[in-house]
Amino acid sequence: MRAPTSGTWLVLGLLALWEASARFGWVDSPNWPPVTEVLRALWQDSVTGELPARVGGSLYRMAAGLLAGGAAGVAVGLAFALVPLTARLFGLVVEAVRPIPIPAVIPPLVLFLGLDDPMKITVVALTVFFPVLTNTMQGVRAVEAEALAMGRTFGIGPWRRAACIVLPSCLPYTLAGLRVALGLALVVTVVAEMIAGEQGVGSYLVLMQFAGRAPEMYATVLLLAGLGYALNRGFVALEHRAIHWWFAMGR
Amino acid sequence: MWGDRVRAVLPGVAVLALLLAGLEWAVQAGLIRRVLLPPPSVIGATLWDLLASGAFVDPLLATLQLVFAGFAIGSLIGVLLGTAMGWWPAAFRLFEPLVELVRPVPKSALVPPLMLFLGIGFTMKVTSVALVVIFPVLLNTLQGVRGVDRVMLDAARTHGWGSAHTLRHLVLPAALPFVLAGMRISLGLALVLAVLAEMLAGEGGLGFLILDMQRSFLIRQMYAWLVILAVLGLVLNGIVAALERRALHWQNRNP
Repeated sequence: MRAPTSGTWLVLGLLALWEASARFGWVDSPNWPPVTEVLRALWQDSVTGELPARVGGSLYRMAAGLLAGGAAGVAVGLAFALVPLTARLFGLVVEAVRPIPIPAVIPPLVLFLGLDDPMKITVVALTVFFPVLTNTMQGVRAVEAEALAMGRTFGIGPWRRAACIVLPSCLPYTLAGLRVALGLALVVTVVAEMIAGEQGVGSYLVLMQFAGRAPEMYATVLLLAGLGYALNRGFVALEHRAIHWWFAMGR
Repeated sequence: MWGDRVRAVLPGVAVLALLLAGLEWAVQAGLIRRVLLPPPSVIGATLWDLLASGAFVDPLLATLQLVFAGFAIGSLIGVLLGTAMGWWPAAFRLFEPLVELVRPVPKSALVPPLMLFLGIGFTMKVTSVALVVIFPVLLNTLQGVRGVDRVMLDAARTHGWGSAHTLRHLVLPAALPFVLAGMRISLGLALVLAVLAEMLAGEGGLGFLILDMQRSFLIRQMYAWLVILAVLGLVLNGIVAALERRALHWQNRNP
């Protein structure tokens, strides 16, 4: 346990100020509940099962989108990097879609896929696709030419070369892309839920805002922050296990 | 050189054109319902009307103003705080826990609380955009300032440079590549948050228009505005990339 630094005191001080300002009416607003009230709302909504059910739904959509978008990103990234012709043919189509800010693709997708899971999973997949694609391509470019040449010398066919030489050495890059994508995926899931439909944490957040139930609203924000933090930490741990040799090489 | 570049993008352009032609045919042949996707030629005509009549100017300016105001405020805070935290250990100890606590909060989730406090006007939207911009800029600035070569710092001290002089002439130039990289990430995020805030607040701007057109079943217009927004994203990205190249021409480590 580290000794509390000035920063810890600053955080505690701000929290105390928040609590006091709400309790003693320094900030007299229904939108400014005390911290303890927010924590109680978080506890209550967790016990009733309202929040866990919504979080579960959101996580499911996020995971499905992550899987679909990640797989597509790796596949297209490998194709673009290994077969330059495909990049020359389809690169421009990909680059035409990339600059669209992601919330803006939701309205057209609603037309095609409706308000529920398929639309939201597609939005997440689309978000995840680009960082994974870029990193996978970078990873393939970083494959050592000697390793490939050696594979060829030993008479290993192109498919096995891709599976046994290219894939493992671009894995660290792809995983780094996935880690970025994971953070985005949670945010985008929530955004999609905020804009369309009535499922998930995002919709709950907007619902509580409209209902003027400030403690529940802040509790949801708090929960999302914790979730984002935990997901990132979990992924980093997994990453270290999956590619420990990469970190062992001192990178 | 131009010939080479044209030849390099030609296949891509051809595929894009083929794709559009294919969509046109599929819609005309009734394979895709017109209410979901009007033929690209019709969207093109609608887009042309918007451009020719000048109707695109106001919403575009509204969104641009929002992005740039939020980006400027957020970048300034990020650079100042990042430099302070990188330069003075006391500042780092003071702010680090707070930054680590606020950073994982999805900024998009902060839009509803901000709406309660700041209403649905410009202030709320600029604050949302600035909030998302701060953190990438701050973290990159911090990394850049801390990464300054110790030998250079010692040399500066040997030459009797004061703290302010060292910051201005050694630390900031050395951190600039990091700062700019953070800004490029932030600009993309700024546009995303601007569009989201416009959608949720429902008060003008490109994001609001796209959602509003969809809800009013003005589908052609929706796609036309979407194209305008995509071009905006492309142009913003191009501007930062160009700025980065200009500002860092002396640094040809990654050409």
